[in-house]
Amino acid sequence: MTIWRGAGWAVALVLVALGSAGAARAQTVSYAEAAGLLNQHCGGDIMKHCRGLNLGNGAIHQCLAGNAAQLSPACAANHEGIRAMTEARAAAQAAVFKVCDRDRAEYCPGVEAGDGNIVSCLLQASKVVSQTCTAAIANAGYR
Amino acid sequence: MRALASTLAFAAALAAAAPASAQQFTPNAQIVQGLQGAVQDVPNVSAQALRGLAEAHMQYSGPPQDRPPLAIQLDQLAQINVEIEFDLNSAMVKPSSYRTLGAIADAMHNPELLGYKFLVVGNTDTTGTRAGNMKLSQERADAVATALTTTFRVDPRRIQAVGLGEENLQDAKNPTAAINRRVQIFNVGRAGALTPR
Repeated sequence: MTIWRGAGWAVALVLVALGSAGAARAQTVSYAEAAGLLNQHCGGDIMKHCRGLNLGNGAIHQCLAGNAAQLSPACAANHEGIRAMTEARAAAQAAVFKVCDRDRAEYCPGVEAGDGNIVSCLLQASKVVSQTCTAAIANAGYR
Repeated sequence: MRALASTLAFAAALAAAAPASAQQFTPNAQIVQGLQGAVQDVPNVSAQALRGLAEAHMQYSGPPQDRPPLAIQLDQLAQINVEIEFDLNSAMVKPSSYRTLGAIADAMHNPELLGYKFLVVGNTDTTGTRAGNMKLSQERADAVATALTTTFRVDPRRIQAVGLGEENLQDAKNPTAAINRRVQIFNVGRAGALTPR
């Protein structure tokens, strides 16, 4: 039991460690990594308690939450943390345009939105864009 | 119908990657590379058009190796085949393939691909009924697309899904071969300006 509780702490520690990383380093993990962790910790639970359901529309998360008492210790300890990783990456991607808007106006004035143009321009201007924008780009996984 | 599974090299590479690491996992470069570089004169491919072709193709009732190929050239589109395992006779993606789904999403969020739209295509082998295969492959393609557009936040305006059942076999001479059970992702061109919402 202690070991599994330890696994929960491990996820928390990873998040803390990521949080203290430098600005240019991403403080989020990729969707692939989070999804791989979900399989690692909860794959068996999902096949047992959520058979027939899919990741989309939060169905797996709701199923795991609804079966909290039946989950394996590893899954119980980690699934919320893993979901938080995915949500953190999604939030970072959603925030880029707002966080980088001043940089966009300054360094990408004529660039038309769409086709990924703004992100490409901000990446090209990476030497001069603000630290907050640089961090936002890293957290979104764009570099 | 058995679980959809193929043995593509890059998928094996994905599976071999370390599962838990505090380090940044680089979005799968091979997926990005495979989906890059849409050529200029690509055929106008939509899920709807492909569905119509597949349904029309069901009229050819002979053995699979004698049926004509689907009347569309998809070869010239940038594309990848992905190994996604589904539960038996079900549209449920097995948890063992979650990482692959995440990697596809990471690729679609990669700056190199942010400006493009994609078609998710599900295919079965010839085990089971033809109509059942058509239905199941659509449900599986939809399941993949929904995971990408909800859990992994790919803009739904960039994703279409279509199931082709057993109508577009990769290896028609061996119609029950595993290689026929596959999910394909096609780059179908520029996304244009998508207003934030």
